[in-house]
Amino acid sequence: MRTLTLPTMASVLALSVASGAAFAQSADDIVFPIGEDPRFNWESLDRFQEMDLSGEEVTVLGPWLGPDRDLVNSVLAVFEEATGADVVFAGSDSMEQQIVIDFQAGSPPNVTVFPQPGLAADLAAQGALSPLGDEMQEWVLENYAAGSSWVDLGTYPDENGDPQFFGFFYKVDLKSIVWYSPENLEDAGYDVPTTMEDLIAVSEDIAANGETPWCIGIASGDATGWPAPDWVEDIMLRTQPPEVYDAWTTNEIPFDDPRVVNAIEIFGSFAKNPDWVDGGVAAVGAIDFRDSPRGLFEVPPGCYFHRQASFITSFFPEGTELGVDADFFYFPPFEAEDLGNPVLGAGTLWAISNDSPGARALIDFLTTPLAAELWMAQSGHLSPHLGVNLDAYANDTLRRQGEILLAATTFRFDGSDLMPGAIGAGAFWTAMVDYVSGEEAADAAAGVQRAWQSLQ
Amino acid sequence: MLAQILTALLAIVIAVGFSLLYFAGTNWILDKSLADRVNPDGTEVVRAKQRESIRPWLFIFPALLLLTVYLIYPVVETLRLSLYDGAGSAFVGLANYAWAFQDAEYLQAVGNNLLWLAIVPAASCGFGLAVAVLADRVSWGVIAKTFIFLPMAISFVGASVIWKFVYDYRGPDADQIGILNALVTTLGAEPQAWVTLPFWNNFFLMVILIWIQTPFAMVIFSAALRGIPEETLEAARIEGANEFQVFFRIMLPQIMSTVVVVWTTITIIVLKIFDIVLAMTNGQWDTEVLANLMFDWMFRGGGDFGRGSTVALTIMIAVIPIMIWNIRRFQKEEGMR
Amino acid sequence: MAMVAGGAKAKLGRFAAHAALATLVLIWTIPTLGLLVSSFRDKDQLIVSGWWSALSSSEQTAFGRTGTAADQVEQGGQFVIEGDFLGDGQPGAIATFGESQRNLEAFTAGETAALEDGTEFLLNEDGTYRWTSEQPFEHERGERIFFISEVPPIFTLANYVEVLTAEGIGQSFINTLTVAVPATIIPILTAAFAAYAFSWMQFRGRQILFVIVVGLLVVPLQMSLIPLLRMYNGIGEVFGADPKSYLGIWLAHTGFGLPLAIYLLRNYIGSLPRELMESAKVDGATHFDIFTRMVLPLSVPALASFAIFQFLWVWNDLLVALVFLGKRPDQIVLTSQLRELLGSRGDNWEILTSSAFVTIVVPICVFLALQRYFVRGLLGGSVKG
Repeated sequence: MRTLTLPTMASVLALSVASGAAFAQSADDIVFPIGEDPRFNWESLDRFQEMDLSGEEVTVLGPWLGPDRDLVNSVLAVFEEATGADVVFAGSDSMEQQIVIDFQAGSPPNVTVFPQPGLAADLAAQGALSPLGDEMQEWVLENYAAGSSWVDLGTYPDENGDPQFFGFFYKVDLKSIVWYSPENLEDAGYDVPTTMEDLIAVSEDIAANGETPWCIGIASGDATGWPAPDWVEDIMLRTQPPEVYDAWTTNEIPFDDPRVVNAIEIFGSFAKNPDWVDGGVAAVGAIDFRDSPRGLFEVPPGCYFHRQASFITSFFPEGTELGVDADFFYFPPFEAEDLGNPVLGAGTLWAISNDSPGARALIDFLTTPLAAELWMAQSGHLSPHLGVNLDAYANDTLRRQGEILLAATTFRFDGSDLMPGAIGAGAFWTAMVDYVSGEEAADAAAGVQRAWQSLQ
Repeated sequence: MLAQILTALLAIVIAVGFSLLYFAGTNWILDKSLADRVNPDGTEVVRAKQRESIRPWLFIFPALLLLTVYLIYPVVETLRLSLYDGAGSAFVGLANYAWAFQDAEYLQAVGNNLLWLAIVPAASCGFGLAVAVLADRVSWGVIAKTFIFLPMAISFVGASVIWKFVYDYRGPDADQIGILNALVTTLGAEPQAWVTLPFWNNFFLMVILIWIQTPFAMVIFSAALRGIPEETLEAARIEGANEFQVFFRIMLPQIMSTVVVVWTTITIIVLKIFDIVLAMTNGQWDTEVLANLMFDWMFRGGGDFGRGSTVALTIMIAVIPIMIWNIRRFQKEEGMR
Repeated sequence: MAMVAGGAKAKLGRFAAHAALATLVLIWTIPTLGLLVSSFRDKDQLIVSGWWSALSSSEQTAFGRTGTAADQVEQGGQFVIEGDFLGDGQPGAIATFGESQRNLEAFTAGETAALEDGTEFLLNEDGTYRWTSEQPFEHERGERIFFISEVPPIFTLANYVEVLTAEGIGQSFINTLTVAVPATIIPILTAAFAAYAFSWMQFRGRQILFVIVVGLLVVPLQMSLIPLLRMYNGIGEVFGADPKSYLGIWLAHTGFGLPLAIYLLRNYIGSLPRELMESAKVDGATHFDIFTRMVLPLSVPALASFAIFQFLWVWNDLLVALVFLGKRPDQIVLTSQLRELLGSRGDNWEILTSSAFVTIVVPICVFLALQRYFVRGLLGGSVKG
């Protein structure tokens, strides 16, 4: 029996593995022919062209689907072309669950792209990630603007409790921005608001004229609710000093602290005002965040403002010219609060979840200016890399976002991403969904605090 | 793509070939190694009895092995894990159960599951029975049944897409593209984002499962109704019973045992309901159910096997009475055979 | 008189039966019909009008951007910019237009409008326009002219082409087939042998083992996920293979489907005539011969009904595939891909409806073609004990 079973089992196993390899879809076409566009630092590629990784498969799991997946594939394709490696990118909008399944199954991808440091920290503590090493840490300190904050965000205790550098930030998003159509705003007779008081006054005015100032949609499949915490965080930074914000993200001050509840209620003064949101309050919870900017481009306009991170441009209608058909302004601070110009941002964190020479080479490739430029030149990608050629930004809009990023008096990372996964990617979202559907802010916040306590 | 089709074909051949090889091979070995033989002194040794006492085990061994590995062992292991911490390494006693009974989300999931249990089996059986009875009375009954039959072939996820489209919501100023809101606005009411209305949204999700399970009930009830002798019904009608009386006094009692079986089968499906909730709301807007909550705890934020297993066990505990009832029923029928 | 009343009553009853059944049929078919119709509609029309109005033309609001100063020509002392808002081949006809988004019905197509800056603008139904001014144009960016257009119904296969290629549904289709076929055949073989043993062979513990099988019929497979994941991990390490493999999911589906398979097949095989077995035995046939030569061919209807049952179950499964297969393009199954789309393509109904239709078309065909066997399987599984 045994003699019969094992070889057969093995051959079938081998067969199914082989079928996987034969089928591995290689990354999509290269968008910029190698060596041609003078804006790019093509010399970055030299040391990768010397590598021979042919036959080596590098699997990558990340949060991107649709247009974003094509974008990341266009970068990975250059790496493939140079090294001969075969990069298989799998995108999932529920990658938060998928990576845990993969890890538990013992089949993690070589490289994982985390949208949230909190989740990466959880996995690092379980020994699922391989440290990137001191050399890499040094590199980030030297080559990234505000390098130490990026190192801190990527450093977590490993399974023995020793802090190690695990996560490399590639592709940063700016969250504190409001999108609008310059022509529509001008036609309606308003200037770009520069203080929160202004913004609120303009919104009131638009509503008084029978139009709708805001488009807000927080649905997102499994992750429904996540855009709402961004609002609350941005408002926290505009109503409280950054120290309070930090204390909030680590639960040193409880989630149902009056200062947090206040921020939630200010968010509610936008999102729960039936005259202020396109489609009414019910639409806030029901409309997918990717579709929520649509109102900006409708005729007549469904709304005038849309607060969302820089990546949202990928979901603007085809043919939208940034800076012309759509533009952004900085989500302004309250003049009365005098808290400077706070900026909320986020980024994707690349970590090695299954070590291999190919995985190391890929992370190494991402540190090159070229890797950042290839994406910057196409769509919503900001880079804190000091060595990139700013001319490579696809348009002025992106370049100006880069400037906001660098000019911030306070920079804070998306707080929900810093909270434990079950809070920042769970209870907080649910609470905001409940709040938008009618719950009181204090009750919603208290629910999050209870969930947080049950983790400890 | 061609390569994968070929691989699949090859795999089928290997799977079938291996299975046949196992059954044929072990039988051959058994016949050879325990063959009848003639001793040197001329006496015959018949070993048929030994052979036939081993052969059944060769027949059922693969099935038993798979059942043990895929169903029995996991039940025991889940029970064990529910007494351990999130990583499955430290014994924590009943801490996970203590957590469950004060966790708002868990209690909400239990409450919602109970709501589903109260409504879906009853509604599916009710509609199924209605169709089965009505279809017998109209000339186009067979066609009607075929149409109602179709949703049964549709996956829960596919059905979720279909119904999400029915429930689609646009603001009151826009043209509705979801048929439910279109109807509602035609009648002069405000459109609603149906799946986001706490409490009521549970019913909108249940509709999907009822839609899928009604055909199942219908098929079985049709067959059962056909089993009632026509004379019984005729006799009742001649005695002046109207159709409602015939239905409630004659038909329903006759097929009661079938109703119970269908009800139980749907009950089990309801206890395990997962895909619809995941695809429609992922438990948001107070629609959490046990199976989705388990999936969340298993795989969300690093994964907590202890709590995940505890939630899974809740489903198992709910199923145990049905399991015992099922076994009793089976034994009774075996006894009658 | 009483007779007549009774007749009227019966008639009314019959009418009620027709009406009630018709209502139920509508409720059970309209949602799917909506999906089918929508999947063939043009995506721009799909989002502005309900599928039930698919056959009537829809009204769309949009704007066109005029040419810039660089495009102007001088004609008889006037400066003229000409162009076409509807591009070539774009269907539809402009009904009304206006200078402001707040008044789209200011002018009718074909009418020459006097704009606020004193220029004149002519927009024709076919989208061509002629903008004339006494003064030279100086603008560098085209002005926006807003209009309402009537677009005739458009039906297209483009949605299907897109989902089958760009959205990965085509590949997933093959993946699902790769999962479903072996996951249907393996349990049948395994269960058939076991069912025969339970029916016609004598061995100790036969009753108690079968009772266990009956008990396992209702075990929720959710119980199995965590332990099996851990076990696959161990096995994967021993063989140095990926624990997420097709073999793994075939065996998992086999394990989960076996109780029902054994139960159904034993009911059937156990009801074959005893004389048949005994006469074969008298002729010297072994159990193996009896099984392969007589029982298996005789059981084809039962095997078929279980096969359909299991095939549909595997095809429609989401949970097992989520856990035991990855989301790589060469492993993700249809249900999982569809759920991803539901999450990632939000309101892109043209993608969702056509993808959903691709996923349900196979089970529906299997179902319609083999209805008889399926019903028999259902009845065997739940009505007979």
